[in-house]
Amino acid sequence: MATAATTVLIVDDHPSFRATARLLLEVEGYDVIGEAEDGEKAIVAAGELRPDLVLLDVNLPDIDGFAVARRITGEEAAPAVILTSSRDSSDFGTAVTRSGARGFISKADLSGASLAELLG
Amino acid sequence: MIPRQVVWGVGAAAVALGATLAVTLFATLDSREEAAAATVALLLVGGSFVVAGLHAWRRRPGNRVGPLMIATGFSWLVAGFVEAREPLPFSIGYVAGALPFAFVVHLLLAYPTGRLRSRLARVVVVAAYVVTTVGSLSVSLFVREVDGLDDQPRNLLLVADEPGLADALETAATLTGVALVLLATGLLARRWLAATPVERRGLAPLLGTGALFLAALAVTLTADQLSGDSLALGILGAIAMLLFLAVPYAYLIGLLGSRASRATAVGELVQRLSEAGSRGSLRDAIAAALGDPELDLVFRRPDRDEWVDAGGRRVSLARAGLGRAITPIARDGETIGAIVHHRGLTEERELLANTAAAAALALDNDRLAAALRARVAELQESRANIVSCGLSERRRLERDLHDGAQQRLVALSLQVNLAADKLHDDPATAATLLDRARDELRHALEELRELARGIHPAILTDHGLDAAVGALAGRSPVPVQVRPLPSERLPSPVEAVAYFVVAESLTNVAKYARARQAEVRVERADGRAIVEVRDDGVGGASVERGTGLRGLADRVEALDGHLNIRSEPGEGTIVRAEIPCASS
Repeated sequence: MATAATTVLIVDDHPSFRATARLLLEVEGYDVIGEAEDGEKAIVAAGELRPDLVLLDVNLPDIDGFAVARRITGEEAAPAVILTSSRDSSDFGTAVTRSGARGFISKADLSGASLAELLG
Repeated sequence: MIPRQVVWGVGAAAVALGATLAVTLFATLDSREEAAAATVALLLVGGSFVVAGLHAWRRRPGNRVGPLMIATGFSWLVAGFVEAREPLPFSIGYVAGALPFAFVVHLLLAYPTGRLRSRLARVVVVAAYVVTTVGSLSVSLFVREVDGLDDQPRNLLLVADEPGLADALETAATLTGVALVLLATGLLARRWLAATPVERRGLAPLLGTGALFLAALAVTLTADQLSGDSLALGILGAIAMLLFLAVPYAYLIGLLGSRASRATAVGELVQRLSEAGSRGSLRDAIAAALGDPELDLVFRRPDRDEWVDAGGRRVSLARAGLGRAITPIARDGETIGAIVHHRGLTEERELLANTAAAAALALDNDRLAAALRARVAELQESRANIVSCGLSERRRLERDLHDGAQQRLVALSLQVNLAADKLHDDPATAATLLDRARDELRHALEELRELARGIHPAILTDHGLDAAVGALAGRSPVPVQVRPLPSERLPSPVEAVAYFVVAESLTNVAKYARARQAEVRVERADGRAIVEVRDDGVGGASVERGTGLRGLADRVEALDGHLNIRSEPGEGTIVRAEIPCASS
């Protein structure tokens, strides 16, 4: 685990998931510095907060999560993006790899360890 | 109906006027032969117009054709006094001399309806009256001696003997008269071209004679101004007079002709309709009978307030189109169809009525076929709607599952994992997490229950419509009164559709109606289940707006039922479904 806590932005339109993910990540030593409930707010927050990691839900009410990932990772000194969904990664085919995201974790499997593994 | 006394009165007045004319002519003319010839000619023309006019007036009291013919006859008799050799009758006859032509121009242009059809026609008629009254009067103020009259009596109206002025006035009046006559002839030609073939059969005699008369009159008036050849003028004048005399007879012949053509048209229709095997479409037969190739035949559907064409396509009678009119076809007091035809045919009321009556007898097959086609189209439409409705319902279910229960279970899974991790090191946090997990689980169960109820309510299957509707009413935020339901169970597809009618309607009441209360009624009558939900809210609901009611209508129609929505703004909403439901 990194010596300085990894900073995280959580993007999801369901408040119950954001709350649970925050609790889980904070317990595991991550520093959750922001939450966003849709794609537009996520892109703004990523620019302002400069997190190390964006945990990004695929199904957002406004913009598709993959498009949000492309926008965020297209910026200079972009944060790592990890996509998540209550669906399985097989539901999305190759869209994950084409979006510029580091990887995909199904919501039910979310844990500090699984994030760390993808972040490398 | 013109009272008999009026007809007799007018006739008596004409006889009295004719007798006065005859007595005056015999008393003032030197030659008895001359007096007899003039009297016979004048009485023949005047009398013919009055008699034909009275006949026309009695037949169509509201139509001006009769009074115009009577007026032509009377004015002709008055003008006849010009033949007298006494100053007073001569002066009266001289001034009135041209008036019959104004009446006859009016008559021709107003035939057969009695109304002038265009602005130009009205201008021509008014100008004709002005020229034949003001024009004649102004000439007679300045003329002492009229050309071509021997031993002319004194003109009582003479103000000043100004032959030059009188000539100029007469020329102006005559040329204006010629122009008006030519315009009137043009208007008659236009009337002819606009007529339907059946109309033409009735119009031909009078319009033909009238146009010939007007042409002869124009030639006579022009020749009178240009030439002094009295023989030629005499012959032209005689031709014009004969044609003038022919006008009332042409009217009577036209009447017989159009009666005969109407009878023929209806006769042909009946015959074509009775040739069942070789029969073309009913529409074609009616179009041929009425002589309107553009004619449409529409049918009223037996089971609802809706019009369809022969192909079963819905049509709106309100948008029949410019220049079209509608004649309903009724049988036993019920309107079963309508003929959409040329507006000109509305004058042929009898023909239309007879055609509609003949069509009513033969309409059944075509009407049932049209209704059947409409039904097939409806079924195809509602089948397609049910498929797409099914797809969108599945999308909605997927969405609801994903956003609802699935999210709860994800959160639950994460909380349980985390709690398991913390169980030894931090039991207090683990306990908090498990509390939250229990809440998530409770919410997830509620959402699943709600979802399952939307798919098919278990209470309906297990306990029937009464209990299910009671449960819907109980959950509604708006107070709902439920009338007692039928005690026996309905067939399950009917029960399900009835349930969804109530469920969707009550959802709409809660969401949009701003109602104080609602009422649910389910009845079984005449082999149908009737489901009615009414509220006292703002109204304004319709099948066309929003997918909820459209989906309901499709479900109801899939069972051969019909959904009817009454929802005037401000008057609440009544959703009423009638579903066929044979006793089981």
